[in-house]
Amino acid sequence: MSEKVSRRRYVKYAAAGVVVVAAGAAGGYVAWQAGKKPKAKNEVVIGVLAPMATYQGSVQRDAAALAIEEVNAKGGILGLPVRMVVGDDKLDADTGVAELRRLVTVEHADVLTGGYSSGVMTAEMETMAELKTVFLADASSTEHPAKVAGNYEKYKYWFRITQNNGATFAFDLIDMLDMLRTNGVQVNKVYIIRDEHVWVEAVEEFLNPMLKEKNVEVVKNVKIPRGYTEYEPLIIEAHNLGAQVILPILAISGTGDVLAKHWATLRLPVLLAGHDLAALDLGFWERTGGACNYYIFIADGGVVQTAPPTSTCASFIENYTKKYGHPPEAHQGYGAYDAVYLYKMAVEEAAKAGERDPFDSDTVVKYLEKIANLENPVELTRRIAFYPPGHEKKWDHDLAWGDEYVRNWVAEWIDGKQCLIWPKERANAEMKLPPWFK
Amino acid sequence: MEMLELLMRILVYGATLSGIYSLIAAGFTLIFGVSRIMNFSHGAFFVLGAYLGIAIINGVGLNPYLSTAISILMVGLLAAIVYKGIMSPVRTQEVMVIIVTLAFALILEQLILLIFGEHGISYPSMVKGVISIGGVPIPSMRLFVLAIALTALILLWILIGKTRLGREITAASQDVEAATLLGLDVDKLFLTTVFISSILAALGGALYAQVYAANPFLVLKSLIFAFAIVILGGLGSVKGSVISSFIVGYILTAVIVLYGARWSELTALLIIIAILILKPTGLFGVKEL
Amino acid sequence: MVSPDAFLYILGLTYLFIVIAVSWDVMVGYTGQVNLGHIVFVGIGAYTTALLQTPSRLQRLIPGMLLETTQVPIYASILCGGVAAAMFGLIIGVITLRLKGWYFALVTAVLPLVFVETTVIWKDVFGGEEGFPIGLKGALASSTLGKYYVAFAFMLASVAAMYAIVNSKVGLKFKAVREDPYLAESVGINTVKIKVLAFMVSSFFAGLAGALIVHYRGTVSPSLYDVPLMLLVILAAVIGGLGTIFGPMVGGLIVYLAKHWWLKGAVAALTSTGLPINDDIILYAVLIAMAVLLPEGIWMRARKIIRGTRIS
Repeated sequence: MSEKVSRRRYVKYAAAGVVVVAAGAAGGYVAWQAGKKPKAKNEVVIGVLAPMATYQGSVQRDAAALAIEEVNAKGGILGLPVRMVVGDDKLDADTGVAELRRLVTVEHADVLTGGYSSGVMTAEMETMAELKTVFLADASSTEHPAKVAGNYEKYKYWFRITQNNGATFAFDLIDMLDMLRTNGVQVNKVYIIRDEHVWVEAVEEFLNPMLKEKNVEVVKNVKIPRGYTEYEPLIIEAHNLGAQVILPILAISGTGDVLAKHWATLRLPVLLAGHDLAALDLGFWERTGGACNYYIFIADGGVVQTAPPTSTCASFIENYTKKYGHPPEAHQGYGAYDAVYLYKMAVEEAAKAGERDPFDSDTVVKYLEKIANLENPVELTRRIAFYPPGHEKKWDHDLAWGDEYVRNWVAEWIDGKQCLIWPKERANAEMKLPPWFK
Repeated sequence: MEMLELLMRILVYGATLSGIYSLIAAGFTLIFGVSRIMNFSHGAFFVLGAYLGIAIINGVGLNPYLSTAISILMVGLLAAIVYKGIMSPVRTQEVMVIIVTLAFALILEQLILLIFGEHGISYPSMVKGVISIGGVPIPSMRLFVLAIALTALILLWILIGKTRLGREITAASQDVEAATLLGLDVDKLFLTTVFISSILAALGGALYAQVYAANPFLVLKSLIFAFAIVILGGLGSVKGSVISSFIVGYILTAVIVLYGARWSELTALLIIIAILILKPTGLFGVKEL
Repeated sequence: MVSPDAFLYILGLTYLFIVIAVSWDVMVGYTGQVNLGHIVFVGIGAYTTALLQTPSRLQRLIPGMLLETTQVPIYASILCGGVAAAMFGLIIGVITLRLKGWYFALVTAVLPLVFVETTVIWKDVFGGEEGFPIGLKGALASSTLGKYYVAFAFMLASVAAMYAIVNSKVGLKFKAVREDPYLAESVGINTVKIKVLAFMVSSFFAGLAGALIVHYRGTVSPSLYDVPLMLLVILAAVIGGLGTIFGPMVGGLIVYLAKHWWLKGAVAALTSTGLPINDDIILYAVLIAMAVLLPEGIWMRARKIIRGTRIS
């Protein structure tokens, strides 16, 4: 009996000791930090925070590294050398928040770029607001600009630069259907296969009324869970219900390859046209063994790699390929590259205007709004503009959507290549229908 | 006509999934029935069959049939090594077996994630074309896969029922001590069982990647469905697990076709739990635990 | 490099994790029933308290339950989380503990999948894959240090309580069921009832811990139901030593800190060599090594060394 009691006491004392030491260390560190004098600024630090295990994340690091290399070769930002620091959010909100904190407080990042998962971004926005650091971000949720709209002073440091928000996909999808109609495909029934996730709700909010307007009937709307693979019965059902188009609205399901494979095997007279992250992937053709031929999709980020929208974009793709041996693996690369240059431009504008501290976050926000707005978009790898505060749809600081700005172009996999097929002015190929259709 | 078409769709499409799952379930229950080992790495071997096969096709350039054969043999060998290395030493502590094999499965899952990424991979089609049965278009590949799965099961049945090795395995599964007294090398029999079962699982994986796509998360997902099927069929009963594979496969397909994709897995799991409440030893419960 | 603030934060979460590991030991180490779905209770506790803190979501499940503006007191909410988990423990226990050993393990393994599906399908209520935040008003304390102290106190209280339970007369019955169920039955112990009781104790504390995690982090998400977390619990209990209460405490401390802190440096060094390796792989490999080489766990081995006895 006494043995057990003494062991318990021992454990308790040990634990209490840990607490005292930990609390003491914390207090001491805080005091020491407060006592340190701020150093004069001798470099600019850009932080990249994304899931590094996925190529959507690693491409941001690589693209930013290229941009920083170029910037440094031309003298840096306001004469100061630029350094990159990298954080890995591991697609986890807690990790993302901790890494953001580390990048800003320990690595002294002046600005951040990155992101991918909307859920992680939502959590990170809180820390970003607390630490008052500008974040030029990715992710597609309309929740993020809504936060800016709801509390501008707190969240104004957030800007979306990599792609348009998910709701705009609806506009692109409608244009895609219009394109099909003008090319002689009678579209009046569609069969929707969509992710079981909140992001699609934002798309459908805009898509459904527009479909009605255009007299397009949704014969069925199928929600699929992550990892779902039984597409054949769905394709057969779509055909039986008389749909001319199967419209995927997919990003997280992860099984776009199987959808393409099943569609190509069955060869039923139904088109496959919609949004699927899997189709965006440059390795899609190889992975599906060519089954994705004739797959029409809208391309996130405003760039179809075979038809770059600006000359800066074409050079970026060329230089990236030269440096890394292959073209950018995902559209997040354009966002990260543009983020570095846009930040540089904002800081330089601020300095030219005589601002006391051009690197101060509030100042940077002011100048980002000034130089990249609807009246004058900035042409980088794409034409960047941000919606102003007070936007009617609560898309404050979101990436502007439109032909003159950024939008998901309508693309198609044709004979091994990702081609841009609409709008006509930018197209580098004509739409091709599968031989078994009609 | 509508009903018939619907029924045909469920019947034929459900059969593929059932056939593939029966390969995993039969192997899992066989290992347990014979050696009391709960092999939580079984799902990993399933997935490896697919990944190794594709790696060989892409890396060495062999044709799909040969690559599959080589890959399942490699998986069998790996399983044998795993048995010798980590399953056998802790065989007497059943909790440890679960923990050790589960940890191994997760290592494999992480390795696959790191080397191949999280996107699925699929086999190049070995059989092309679509035929029509009862007005329902069916890719020939599905029938091919089903045929192979059934052939494998029949071979297994012949092995266990008609060969000397099969009889020895059955003897060891019924009474380990008596079998040892009779001079049977029980450890070797267990090893052989693990080898055979893992080959079956790997074959299942390769077939799965033909029709669908293999991804790292299947390591756990296929395992959990194997559990559900095996519990339903009764632990230790190969016949039971084959039959319940078809039951579960059909429930899944029927729900997808009739109600909606999102409900399929949840419904299947709930039905299994419900059946277990009514019949705690499964449909064909054989082993007393 | 981790700032002290971040370190305290991680340590606090470690204490909560320890409670989960110890509660698992109550079931597995003391009663011998391998529960592979333990984290389901963590999740139930977590979502119960999260829903109580967000009446707007709760109303989509049970209309008219609470007013939109009701502010449920934090500790009452947490307690409800524990009670809800225990209730589920009762229901699930009564159903599944009639099943013999292996069936129980397999069925419990399937449970997390069912619960995660539920969270995703009814996302209006449960927030789907990304979960939902509960807002600053639900925080345990306004500073990291404050949260740390709360987590620490909770851990001490819970471990002490569980220790008392397993060393009481009821605890003796738990061990009897583990050692020889038939003998236990023959001396009049209702094994099913005892197992269910242990299950409820185990799930109660897991639920409390889950609820506390929500108030600590400020958000709830299905990651609390996830298999990797279950593995971590198993790792902690096995490395520390099953059936000892203190073993999982030590194991939990080592494992959780290793995963979230210590291994980062080692992994960064290893990955730069191009080897496909990450912190999970290292942990699992350690688990396998420990299970094969040191099955009784660190705690027991340490005790033996300290006492100078060697049990063959």
